Amino acid sequence: MRIGIVCPYSFDVPGGVQNHVMDLAEALLGLGHEVSVLAPADEDSPLPPYVVPAGRAVPLPYNGSVARIAFGPVSSARVRRWIARGEFDVLHVHEPLTLSLSMLAVLSAKGPVVATFHTAMTRSRVLAAAQGVLQIVLERITARIAVSALARKVQVEHMDGGAVEIPNGVTVAKFSHAAPLPGWPGECGPGEGGTLGFLGRFTEARKGFPILRDAFVELAGTRPGLRLLVAGPGDPDDLFDRFPAPLRDRVTFLGLVSEADKARMLRSVHLYVAPNTGGESFGMILTEALAAGTTVVASDLDAFRRVLDGGRAGQLFPTGDAAALRAALAALLDDPARRAELTACGDQVVAHFDWPVVARRVLEVYAAAIEATDGRVIDQEWAGLG
Amino acid sequence: MPGMWWVVGASLVVGLVAAYLIWTAGRVERLRVRAESAARALDAHLLRRAAAAAVLAERRYGVELYAAARIALDAEPQEREAAENDLTRQLRAVRLDPTEPDCEAVIAASRRLALARQVHTDLVRDARSARGRPLVRLLRMGRRHPWPRYFDIDDPTLELPADVPA
Repeated sequence: MRIGIVCPYSFDVPGGVQNHVMDLAEALLGLGHEVSVLAPADEDSPLPPYVVPAGRAVPLPYNGSVARIAFGPVSSARVRRWIARGEFDVLHVHEPLTLSLSMLAVLSAKGPVVATFHTAMTRSRVLAAAQGVLQIVLERITARIAVSALARKVQVEHMDGGAVEIPNGVTVAKFSHAAPLPGWPGECGPGEGGTLGFLGRFTEARKGFPILRDAFVELAGTRPGLRLLVAGPGDPDDLFDRFPAPLRDRVTFLGLVSEADKARMLRSVHLYVAPNTGGESFGMILTEALAAGTTVVASDLDAFRRVLDGGRAGQLFPTGDAAALRAALAALLDDPARRAELTACGDQVVAHFDWPVVARRVLEVYAAAIEATDGRVIDQEWAGLG
Repeated sequence: MPGMWWVVGASLVVGLVAAYLIWTAGRVERLRVRAESAARALDAHLLRRAAAAAVLAERRYGVELYAAARIALDAEPQEREAAENDLTRQLRAVRLDPTEPDCEAVIAASRRLALARQVHTDLVRDARSARGRPLVRLLRMGRRHPWPRYFDIDDPTLELPADVPA
């Protein structure tokens, strides 16, 4: 199948949508399809061979943050040229309701269009005011995909339409084969040692870092050799100030890590802790930790409970309860058999999120969109679904 | 000559209104055609599922499933939704083994049918909402065609994959 994918955000800046698009494109290529990705980027920036640059993106404030997008007559002409040359069987756009290449592509497309919605943005005033315009965009979309239950709920309630829920994928091999950082995770004997991991913005309240901090400080007092590995954006001084002086040398801060280092970091800890207090729609990081074969301890949020299969694939603790977290950590660090049981189950769970598996489900949506556009029915073999 | 400007202004307005009406009529027609194509694809998938179920019933599960599949294949349009729901119920009642090729064919056909149904529902909704606009009703655009109809059946997905929460 010839597939054209449009990414609204520039590959120059890392982000969830960009990673999703690249992983999906690679998985589809791996399944033997022809893929071209259109994304805003400079002509001379280093890009994978399947990406077609659509020119520089300009920063624009949008939805509370700054998005780098490309929109306007020049971009529009490039989008049209790319579509005309590509002769795609199906066009797959991401986040088509932002002012972006995706929206331009939807408006210039004639054939089957599949759209993926990532954000679970609730009905904003902008959205309500532009309803008439957005309707014209939505009318050109044949099939919709939502990456989480929350994103799907927004579709159903606010955009007046259904969507197929297909979760974000994870490239399991990238995580399961990563080498741990030198010297990590170290010893983890009964009553001593062990390494905890946290990844994310530790200053952000909903990430729940203070809960992990409290649990760590209390547990480290009775458990010699317990270490904490933190990765994510932020100021090191700000992080270390949060810990009592004697414990500071047992905390290691990696700063912002690349995708490759993220995989290594997840392989470098005995327990990955997700103490989030809310606002997570999916819990991508948990699937990544499971893919790395690391035991996960997470707050009992809906999204996390779903990913962890109700607690079979990871330990859940009552959201916001530092004492319960401490008890769960102490018990798991002393019980390698239980950890092995959880990671074995995690392997099964994460197999459903592996990109080739997820990409096959996306291909079925492509087939449905093509069929609905011209009424013909596609063979399993032709669509590469078999 | 103020009169001339009146003429220019009036013809400009008439031109804009005409352009909007032509665009709207095109939109209603485009959405209707789309909904019809989706209905054809849905029809094909319904037949496929019923045929796969009939094959399975002949080899393994016997009379009740076979009857449900036959009834779904032969149903008159007004009884078809009920017949398809009945087939879904029958399929849910039997234990399907995903490693068996005949069962896998039914499971795959049901999954594809679920997607076709979702897309059809969305496209019919779009077509109906365009058709229901006051201006479209007033000028009776699209009166040569019947209103696009929903096909109201239960979700035919048989086996929820473990990663999709219920």
